[in-house]
Amino acid sequence: MQDTSGRRLPAIQKMLGAVNAKAPEHGQLEFVESVPFGASLIIDRYRMANGLALLLCEDKSAPVVSVHTWFRVGSRHEQEGKTGLAHLFEHLMFNEIEGRGAGFFDRKLEEAGAESNASTWLDWTQYNIAIPKEQLGLVLELEAERMSKLVLREPQVTSEKEVVANERRYRVDDDVEGAVSELLWATAFTRHAYKWPTIGWMKDIEGFTTEDCEAFYRAFYAPNNAALIISGDFKVADVLSRVSQNYGVMAASTLPVEDAQPEPPQTSERRVEVKKQTTTEKLVVGYHAPALGDFDHPAISLLSEVLFGGRASRLHQRLVRELELASEVRAFVGPFHDPGLFEIYLAAREGHSAEELLVVLDQELKKVCDAPVTADEMARASARFELGLLGGLETADGKASTIGFYEAVLGRPAAAFERLEATRRLTQSDLLRAARRYLDPNRRSLIIVRPEPAKAEAEAAE
Amino acid sequence: MSAQASAAQGSPEVLVETSHALPLVSFSIALKTGSILDPEGMSGATRMMTRWMRRTAGGREAHVIDAEIDALGGAFGADVSPSTLVFQGTVITRSLDGLMRIAADVLARPGFAAAELERLRRETFAELTESLDDDRGLSRRWFRHRVFGSHPYARSVTGTVSSLTRIQPSDLKSLYQRVVRAENLIFAFSGDIERPRAEALAAELRCQLAGGEVPGEQSADPSVIAGRHLTLVDKPERTQTQILIGGLGTHPQDEDHLALHVANTVFGGTFTARMTQEVRAKRGWSYGAYSSLPIDRRRQAFSMWTFPKAEDAAPCIELQLKMLHDLRSEGITKKELAWAKKYLVRSHAFALDTASKRVGLLLDSALYGLPAGYYENYVERIKAVTLEAANASVEKRLSEDDLRITVVGTAGQIGDAVKAVIPNLASSEVVAFDAEPS
Repeated sequence: MQDTSGRRLPAIQKMLGAVNAKAPEHGQLEFVESVPFGASLIIDRYRMANGLALLLCEDKSAPVVSVHTWFRVGSRHEQEGKTGLAHLFEHLMFNEIEGRGAGFFDRKLEEAGAESNASTWLDWTQYNIAIPKEQLGLVLELEAERMSKLVLREPQVTSEKEVVANERRYRVDDDVEGAVSELLWATAFTRHAYKWPTIGWMKDIEGFTTEDCEAFYRAFYAPNNAALIISGDFKVADVLSRVSQNYGVMAASTLPVEDAQPEPPQTSERRVEVKKQTTTEKLVVGYHAPALGDFDHPAISLLSEVLFGGRASRLHQRLVRELELASEVRAFVGPFHDPGLFEIYLAAREGHSAEELLVVLDQELKKVCDAPVTADEMARASARFELGLLGGLETADGKASTIGFYEAVLGRPAAAFERLEATRRLTQSDLLRAARRYLDPNRRSLIIVRPEPAKAEAEAAE
Repeated sequence: MSAQASAAQGSPEVLVETSHALPLVSFSIALKTGSILDPEGMSGATRMMTRWMRRTAGGREAHVIDAEIDALGGAFGADVSPSTLVFQGTVITRSLDGLMRIAADVLARPGFAAAELERLRRETFAELTESLDDDRGLSRRWFRHRVFGSHPYARSVTGTVSSLTRIQPSDLKSLYQRVVRAENLIFAFSGDIERPRAEALAAELRCQLAGGEVPGEQSADPSVIAGRHLTLVDKPERTQTQILIGGLGTHPQDEDHLALHVANTVFGGTFTARMTQEVRAKRGWSYGAYSSLPIDRRRQAFSMWTFPKAEDAAPCIELQLKMLHDLRSEGITKKELAWAKKYLVRSHAFALDTASKRVGLLLDSALYGLPAGYYENYVERIKAVTLEAANASVEKRLSEDDLRITVVGTAGQIGDAVKAVIPNLASSEVVAFDAEPS
C-alpha cells in the first residue's frame, strides 16, 4: 500500500468507523490507499464490501462536484451478432428507474443544474454528472438506483435503437472518416473483439431485443465491476456516508469470464480500396501498437507526436507545407487495455493521390527507424504532451474523467502523471527501438479512399 | 466573479482571473473587430490576415514559429467571428514570457512574406474542399447565408474560393493597419498569474503597437426576410439529412432577452426540453434535437437543429413547425418555467467553475457590449422572469411566418416530400452542395 495519507489516516479511520456502524448489508467501506494526483491533489481509494471501488479527489477550487461511474464493460465484451450492445445500453441507462417514472432521471438532474453525459469505447462505459456541490446527495442517490433498478421496456428499447441507428448514420454511414476508421479496425483485427465498432453493425443494432438488454444489465452492471470517482468540493465524511447508504444495498455479482481472443501476429500488409462520397482521396494506415499499460506505449506515443503532432511535426512539414500534397495529417495511438492501433489519417489535396501520400509517409517512417529523432524534437513533443495533460485537468469533470479512465483501463487512477514522468524519462534510444519494433510494414493495414463520382456524373461519363 | 477590469483612465483594459490550481496560464488578446470588416467581395480576409500574421511573426518562417511554441509547452492561435478577433494563448507557467514574446511578434511585427500568403491561400482552398465532406457544416453555411441575406453576418468567416482569390497582399496589410491598433485591444489573463504581472505583460505588448483611431460600430441589425423559404442543399447518396429551421433571434439589449432565453430552454435548450422529447425520445428520429439563441453585437439567429434519416426528414420538419406553432400560440407552462429557471440558475455554476471561464464572461461582456451587469446579475434576472414575459417574448421574437429552412440531403430522394409538409412556402431552391452561397 502506497500511503501518502500520513496524518490524515486516523481521521479517515474515525470517519469510516462512524460510517460502517450504520452501513447497509454490503456497505462496509475500507480505506485502501492515498496516491498523489499531480503537485497539489490526492486521490483516496476506498473499497466497499460489495467490490465497488471509490476514488475521492477533493478540490475546493470551485463549488462544484463531478461524479463519474466507470464500468469495466465495453464493446470488447460483446459477441458477434450482438455488437453495439454496450453502447445501446449506455443510452438506455438514461430512461427509467423503478418507482421514478420514465424521464425522471434526466429531468430531475437538469432541474438540479447538472451537466451529464456518458460514453462507451472498446474497454469501458462511463457515466458523468457534474453538479453544484449542494446537489451531490441527489446524484449519489440516482446513480446508485440506476445501477440496480433500471427499468427496461419494449417501447423505450425500440425508440432508443432508432436513435442509435441515427447516431450511426451521423458518425459512420454519412461520415467518411468514421466509415474508414471502422473499416481499418475490421481489417487490422481478425480475431480480437476490437475488430467490431463500438457503435455496432447496423444489422445488429436493428436486431436487439429487450431481453438482450436485460441480460447485459444483469451480467455487467454490478458494484464489483465499477469504479465511482468523485472530484471537487465535498465533505469526505458526508460522501462516505452517502455512498455507503446508497450503494451498500447492492450485492456483488458473479461477473462473466471474458472470452478473450488474443490477436494473432499480422505477418503481411493488408490493403483495402473503397469508394466514398468525398471530395479527395484519403489514406488511413494502422500499425499494430502496444497496449496502454505496455512499457513501450509512452515511447510510441511520443514518436507519434514527433511525426504528426502539430504544424511543426515532420509529416505536417513534408506533406502539408513543403510538398503541398495533403490538407490534413494526424495520428493517434490507441489507449486501450489490449494492443490496439497506431492510426494515421492523411487527406490528399485535389489532384493528388493516396499513393503519393504513402510514398512520403514511408520515407518519413523509414527515417525514424534508421536514425534517432533529435533531442529538440523529443523535448517539443514532451512539452506538448504536458500541456495536453494539464489542459484536461482544469475542471472537476476533467479530473474525474482522467482518474476514471486510468482506473478503468490500468487500475491506477493517477497513471496520467506516471505517464508524464515516463515520457520525461524517454531517451532517443527508446523511440528508435519503438519505431523499429512497431513500424513494420508487414504489420500494417491500409485503407485507400477514392472519391465516388455522383451518379449523374458517372452516367454522363459513360 | 472576482475579476475586475483595471479602471484607471487611459490604462489598458486588462481582465484577470487568478487560480494557482495548475501551472498553466491562458490569455486572450482580443479586438472588437471581426470578419464584418472584410472588404467587399473579400470574405475571409480577416481570418487570412490573422493566419498570415501568425505564420510570419517577427519575420521568421512559419515552421520556426511553430517549433518555438511547441518547445515552450504552449499553444497560440486566433479565432475570428463576425464581430471579434481573438488571439488566444495557453502555456505552462514557466514559459509565459516566451509565449508573450511570440504574441508580440505576431501582433506587432508580422513579416507578411508574400510566398507565405500564397501557400496559405492554397491551404485554405484545400480546407474548403475538405469542408464539403461535413454535412453539418454545409447546413450551417447555407442557413446563415439565407437568414442574414445582405447583412455582413451572412458572409463566411473563412471565405470562398472566389473571395479568397481576389485578396491581394495590400488588402490584408491595409486591414492590419486599420484594426490592429493599441486602442483596439482587450487583454484577458487567467490561471497561474497575478494582476500586476498580467498588467505589465499587457502594457509591454501594447506599447509595441501603433496607436490611432479604430473602426467604430460596424453594422446595423439584420433585417427580417419575409416568408417561408426552403433551401435544399443537394448532396448525393445521403442516408441522413441535416436540418436547420429558424429566423432572427435575440439581442442582448432586448428588454425580453432573458425571458426568451428561458422560453428557449424549455423548447430546445436541454436534453429534456420539448424538442428532444418529441423528436428523439418519443420517435427516435434524430440523435440530437436542439434549438439555440446565440448572442452577438447585433441580432443573431434563432434555429432548430435536427438530423433525421432521409425517410424521416419530411415528418420531422412537419413536427418541428407544429411545435414552433404550439410554442407561439400556447406558450410554455408555469411548471416548465419553474423548471427552466431552476436549471439555468443552478447550472450557472458551470459558467464560473474555472478561471478561464470566469474571465471569458468578462471578455464577452466587453467584446459584445453587453448591458452592465449582464453576467453579474444573471441569476437574479433569470429568477425574475415571469410566465407572461417568457410567452410574450416568444410571440414577439420568434416568427413562424418568416422562416428559413435549410436541408442538406439528396434532393431527388426527399425534395418533394419536404416541400409538401411546409405550408405557405414562398420559395424553394435546390443548390449543389459544392456551390458557393450567393
